[in-house]
Amino acid sequence: MIDRPDAAQLLEAMAETLTDKVMPSLDGGAKHSARVVANLCMILAREWDEREGMAVDELRALLDSPDAEHVDLIADLDRRFANDDVSSELAAALYPIMMADAERRLAIAKPEYLEP
Amino acid sequence: MTALDDTRESLMQLLLASGVPVSRVEVMGSATLGAQRSSLFINVYAGPNITEAVAQILAPGARVVMAPEDDAALLRLARAAGAPVAQVLAAGNTAPITGAAAIIVSKISGESIPRKILRDVNESGTGDDLAADLGMALAKIHSVPVDELPSNLARVDNAHVHEAYCDSLAASIDDVGVPHPIARMGVHWLRQHLPSRPNATTLVHGDLRNGNILVDRGRLSAVIDWELGHVGDPMEDLAWLCLRTWRFGNQDLEVGGFGSIDSLRSAYESAGGTWRDDAFRWWTIARTVWWASGLTRQATTFLDGNSDSIVLAASGRRVVEQEYDLLRLIAP
Repeated sequence: MIDRPDAAQLLEAMAETLTDKVMPSLDGGAKHSARVVANLCMILAREWDEREGMAVDELRALLDSPDAEHVDLIADLDRRFANDDVSSELAAALYPIMMADAERRLAIAKPEYLEP
Repeated sequence: MTALDDTRESLMQLLLASGVPVSRVEVMGSATLGAQRSSLFINVYAGPNITEAVAQILAPGARVVMAPEDDAALLRLARAAGAPVAQVLAAGNTAPITGAAAIIVSKISGESIPRKILRDVNESGTGDDLAADLGMALAKIHSVPVDELPSNLARVDNAHVHEAYCDSLAASIDDVGVPHPIARMGVHWLRQHLPSRPNATTLVHGDLRNGNILVDRGRLSAVIDWELGHVGDPMEDLAWLCLRTWRFGNQDLEVGGFGSIDSLRSAYESAGGTWRDDAFRWWTIARTVWWASGLTRQATTFLDGNSDSIVLAASGRRVVEQEYDLLRLIAP
């Protein structure tokens, strides 16, 4: 899956919040620190685009779409479920991929929410 | 006159129109809930009596989920049925002078912030009592005569109550407009595992959980926030109350992170409610899908530029919690 806002969008929002809403009420060293954090957020936002998450190759094989991009695979899956065009075999094969992906994303977003 | 003077005069006229012999309204404090909603803590002076009250006000043009007059009707009926609910003093969909929508209720003491409730309940050792209070309150709410409810309240035919919910979930996911295959997978599961139907559809609060209750000295003092009230399967309320997301880290205590399902269930049944295990599980999954999609919608509001709230942006990263819970709940 693709979480939205994605990392780059969140980092940009954080930078804007710091710049527009927090920094005006600060001065001196605190203001400088906030500016630095805002800049770091923007660096991380730019860095993010290099990453890829989900087991895309497995999905490509399951959906018989060897050349599809991640975002297109997700849209295809969404469409298939919406149109009730998912066999029980496909649903069963998708489940571990979905769960592994949810666990990976949860480990980033809120690791303490994962069940032991 | 200032805006506050206008508001005070508006509330006074609303109270007078509802038969409260008010001579003066004094604003004691306020809480802003976004740009369009606010709560005013007021003192209502009527003869020798002073009543502490809360006025919830929606700015003109604000998105109204439930009109105050309907909200008031639900509160009155739930209170008449014996549920712990604030007393309605007045309500108007278009209040005098300001044109705002407003409802004025008696103030009830109690804490609503979940983590403070958990701390207080932990200190008083009343977690299972609070779960039982909620079971009893829900049985009363579900006993409200459906034919006395406002006619424009959302209703669904008992013969199709679960199918209709699946349809509304699918429509909601469509409406958010973001591909969401895990939520779709949830709807797929729900359609294949329809549960038993209730004996009859009832009033459903729709959002009863740790966060929409007032707790005073460890016990339930009021059920609040009725804007998702509708007519449906009563088990929906019991399942939503027990979702993992409302346990705030206390995973083993299924009811709001403070009590056991056994305490909730036995109080609900003792007070006349009928518990259905299959429907409890079904609604747990259904409302998990609903909340996954709801959080996605909040993030979309930010992404579409309709809000600059960092809180709504952060909602997008809470979706995976619901997806994870959903996948665990429907595990093959």
